[in-house]
Amino acid sequence: MASRVLRRLAQALGTLLGGAVITFLMLAATPGDPAERILTAKGQEAVTPEAIAALRTELGLDRPLPVRLGDYLRDLVMGDLGSSWSTGRPVVAELGERLPATLRLTVAALGIAVAVSLVLGLAAAWGAGRLLDHVSRTVSMVFLVVPSFLLGVMILDIVVVRSGVGVVIADGQWGTVLLPAITLALGAAASWSRVLRASLLDARAAPFLMVSRARGTTALHRMVVHELPNSMPPFITIIGIEVAVLVGGAPIVESIYSWPGVGRFTVQAVGARDMPVIVGFVMFAIALFVVASLAVDLLTAAIDPRQRAR
Amino acid sequence: MSSTLFRSSLVGRHGSGAAEGWVAADGRLWRRVLRHRGGRFGTALGVVLALVAVIGPLLTADPNLTDYTNKLASPSGEHLLGTDLAGRDFFARTLVGAQTSLGAALLVMAIVTVIGLGVGVLAGSAGGAIDTVLNRLMDVVLGIPGLVLTLAIVGMLGPSFLNLVIAMTVTGWAGLAKLARAHTRGASQRPDVIAARMAGAGPLRIAFGHVLPGAVSLVLVASTLRIGETVVAFAGLSFLGLGAQPPTAEWGTMLSESRMTLAIAPFQIIGPGVGLMLTVLASTLVADALRDVSEPGSRQ
Repeated sequence: MASRVLRRLAQALGTLLGGAVITFLMLAATPGDPAERILTAKGQEAVTPEAIAALRTELGLDRPLPVRLGDYLRDLVMGDLGSSWSTGRPVVAELGERLPATLRLTVAALGIAVAVSLVLGLAAAWGAGRLLDHVSRTVSMVFLVVPSFLLGVMILDIVVVRSGVGVVIADGQWGTVLLPAITLALGAAASWSRVLRASLLDARAAPFLMVSRARGTTALHRMVVHELPNSMPPFITIIGIEVAVLVGGAPIVESIYSWPGVGRFTVQAVGARDMPVIVGFVMFAIALFVVASLAVDLLTAAIDPRQRAR
Repeated sequence: MSSTLFRSSLVGRHGSGAAEGWVAADGRLWRRVLRHRGGRFGTALGVVLALVAVIGPLLTADPNLTDYTNKLASPSGEHLLGTDLAGRDFFARTLVGAQTSLGAALLVMAIVTVIGLGVGVLAGSAGGAIDTVLNRLMDVVLGIPGLVLTLAIVGMLGPSFLNLVIAMTVTGWAGLAKLARAHTRGASQRPDVIAARMAGAGPLRIAFGHVLPGAVSLVLVASTLRIGETVVAFAGLSFLGLGAQPPTAEWGTMLSESRMTLAIAPFQIIGPGVGLMLTVLASTLVADALRDVSEPGSRQ
């Protein structure tokens, strides 16, 4: 178990390092002079060639690429992502103050997605092949085929604006999180419920369940005691992988609802081609992905004795 | 079963069912998909959408013809889906949008398939340092959520139709390359490959004559499964203003242009909305059918 954890940690560090190198290359390959953009963004005094040259030296932009990579990695470890090319403020500060809103949205969406997928998946497996199954699968198919931005536009621009119920500009607090979270969650819920249904039915096909059935246990007992625990590893795995998809979808949903999080900020940064901010968001997404897959690995190992033995 | 089996490494939102399963990649596969009820419907829907995208724009009015005296007109005989804020015909824009959205996705899929095949077969047959480097590169690309990496590359290059295609290409090749690499590595111990090697065939001849054909059908299946996802990603980023630019008729752009007036003229959502949903539906049904027919034990 300990060696497994160590191995996974090493892997996680490798992924982070790879991501850091890629983002560095992106920054370096972006056309334009960062020093000039930062000075223009700050805009206090005239941007003189001397000032640009001075800032270039200060930022280390006049040094060779490998040295800059080393500096970049060191800064990254120290939690320094550089300064925004649009506002001139540190990227960590810009992203940091918007992070709580995004985390609220992600947590709410995760909760909704897990709840909805549990209901849909359990209902489908409970009535496998019968009406309940068909209803549940039709519902997930509908959730699956509506892209989040289409759903968001339908909810906000038509339902909210026409009915006057709810707010058009969200403030990023818990009170307004419901609609954006639903928008972000339904697609994920549909795909997770399909995985859950399939693995519940797989578990039901296991020989020990036939034995349990022969002993006269009820269907409810079998589902709660045997089928559900046995279908947890694939379910948890898909959730772990798709947490990253939720974060990847945050820019779109946050933009629709004017949710003041890092996703919307990043979309604005893409429009302004503010690379340090974009790179900061990429590193945040990679870190989250790494943490999520690490957590999933350890969690499935903890609940599945077969995995633990390996 | 004599057909080549592979475990798809793709865990896409819309193809997640098939991504979980073993998929048989050979010629008989599509015939079995067509015997599957959902597969038949999905394929038919896909063919109809493709025909609409190819022929539709030839038959309709100019999608960019403005008529400010007739703006936000409700659907009627003259304008089947109404008109937008500039009086442009929504029906014409939806059909041309089908060409733009599906065409862009197809373009991305085509480039990504070629790159994925090339890199994957190269890595798998070269082995050694080349393989290690390429494989690490695939891991890194796969380690960044797709939409996030696409966003970052668009940020580098600047928002435009072409740059979004480039960004989605850079993001999309790695999963397919993984697949082609795994296939290539598995092929080195196959009887026909061993026989070819004993007959004195060089590595190039083996790669092109024996490994590539199997890898092609496999990667084609995998990339087909992702068409719906690709259309949605392209439209979603265009919706944010990061891809196709106005006045281009594209589903995502049309949707974002209509947002301000959607409350008073909700019919504007019909064209791009139905188009997107049918595309994802076709793609999901075909993906599900592929999983069902290639996995005899799977549950319907």
